[in-house]
This record gives sequence, C-alpha cells and structure tokens, in this order.
Amino acid sequence: MTLYGFLIIMHIVGTVLGVGAATFAEIHYARFNSDDIITDDEKKTLATTYTVMRTGLFLLVISGFGMLLYFRLTEYVDILSSPSFWAKMTIVAILVGNALLLQARIMPFAVGAAVSLTSWYAALVLGVIGKTISASYVEILIYYVIAIALVGVSLRWIHEWMHAPRNI
Amino acid sequence: MDPRVDARPAKHMTPILATLLIVHVIGGVIAIGMHNVILMHLLKKAPNYIFVSRLAWSAATLFFLSWATSAYYYVTYYGSAVKPRILAGATPAAHTFFMETKEHIFLVLPFVAISIALCTTYLRAVPDDALRKSTALLTLIALIIGAATAASGIFVSGSI
Repeated sequence: MTLYGFLIIMHIVGTVLGVGAATFAEIHYARFNSDDIITDDEKKTLATTYTVMRTGLFLLVISGFGMLLYFRLTEYVDILSSPSFWAKMTIVAILVGNALLLQARIMPFAVGAAVSLTSWYAALVLGVIGKTISASYVEILIYYVIAIALVGVSLRWIHEWMHAPRNI
Repeated sequence: MDPRVDARPAKHMTPILATLLIVHVIGGVIAIGMHNVILMHLLKKAPNYIFVSRLAWSAATLFFLSWATSAYYYVTYYGSAVKPRILAGATPAAHTFFMETKEHIFLVLPFVAISIALCTTYLRAVPDDALRKSTALLTLIALIIGAATAASGIFVSGSI
C-alpha cells in the first residue's frame, strides 16, 4: 500500500467514525432524553459516543494534513486553492469551535447539536463530491447555513415527537 | 563567525528537508490539537490537572520542535527555492502577507505554550478557579493563533 493510500483510508475511517458517532449521539440523546431523565448508564453511553466522535475528528485532521503534505511534496497544489477545500476546512474549524462552545455552555444545546450533525455530513459530502461542484466558497457556506437551519428544525421536531404522550 | 555560512541554500527538496517539513506540520497540528483538548478540560469546573499539565508540556515541546524544524527549512530552502516562485506567481500576498505574518506571530506561540504549561503545573499544586479561567483564555488565544498559522501555511503551500 502506498503512503497516499494509507492516508485516504485513515481519512475515510475518521469520517466514518465522526459521521456515525454524530448520528448516534443524536439518536441516543433523543431516546435517552424522552423521559427528561438521563441516567448514569445513559451518560456513559453518550460519553463513549462523544469519544468515538473526537477520535474520528483526530484521524480526519491528522490524515487531512498528511494529504496536504503529500500534495505539497509532490507539487500537486491545485486542490489547495479550490473553494470546496477551503469550505471543508472552514466547516471542520466550525466543528471544533462548536465543541468548545458546547463545553463552555455558551452554545445552546439544540443549536450545537444541529451544527455538529450538519458539519459532519457537510464535510463528508464535500470530501466526496467537492471536486465536481462548481459553487464558490460563499455559496457553499450559504448552503451549509441553510442545511443547519433545516437540521435544527428537524431535530426539534424529532425531540417533540419523542416527548409526545402515546396511547399504548 | 557568521552563522549563515553553514546554511547553504538548497534548490531541490531533499529527503531531509521533506522530513523537516513533515515534522513541522504534523508536530504543529498535534500541538494545536493538544491545546484544543487542554481547553476542553480547563472549561470543566474540576479538571484533571495532572493530565492537563502533562499535555501542556507535550504541546510546548512539540511547538518548539515544529519551530526549530521550520526555521531550518525556511533558511536553507524556502527563501531560495519557494519564495521566488510565490512572488512570481498569481498570489504573491501568500508570501508578502501570510508568510511574513505567520513567521512573526508563530514566534510567540512556543512561549505562550510554555506559559500555559507553567500555569497548569501550578494548578496541580494549588487549584485556583480564577487562574483556571485565565489559563483557559490563554489557551483559547494560543488555539486561535495556531489555527490561523496552520491556515496560512496551507495558503502558502497552495500558492506555489
């Protein structure tokens, strides 16, 4: 296996762990919080999910910089000036900043959850189809903000639905 | 004796220069990531200061390593082989603004990292909430400088 192949695999594993953990963090939180009580076991499950998400982010960033180095050393630097690449970098930075704001309890949890989930999927989408899209940096970020709003509304709806009384 | 005598400018990327560039980038990125983890812990009311201080000293060490390797790379290769290409290219601002800013602001970072490490070591012995918050703010500043430096580095690399 070539070094570049190894970096690609590491990048994909990081993305899979991050997107998967972000998805399951929302599913678990919605289920666990449906009775407005999060038990110690449920807290441990959520903590494990967040650890997987951070591991994914670490692998994603390290392999990402590894690929940048590879491009620099092989003089294939066109990708470093593409709008989708810089949009992806911005979204990863927002992902990190969002985690810090959530930890500091400055960011409302509902907004932070929508930003986290959307950012992971946006990074995945840009990683897969980034080279083929012709949108500018600002256009990509506008789509991203709209996606955050839609995901935020959807999550709110899901949480309300989970809280709704049911006839058994 | 002029210290620049031994620093012969290289025209081609040798394996040693490539290794130095890799150590500079990966060392710097891991150190920035460590500051991120330190900040996450310092935002808690009762952080594990033993873990945090060990991480802070590791980050400071990596920043010095990143600094030293980049200094050698800059003096022996960048100035003679990379800078002229950037200045002749489409975005000379990558050197005249971003690299010039990066190389001066980055000088501050290892010393900010040492300050964070010293504060967290003190907090191990004497937990103090005001100092914890101040150290968290300093770590946030280091994180922002680190992220800006990394973004500048990518922009410079993309402008060759």
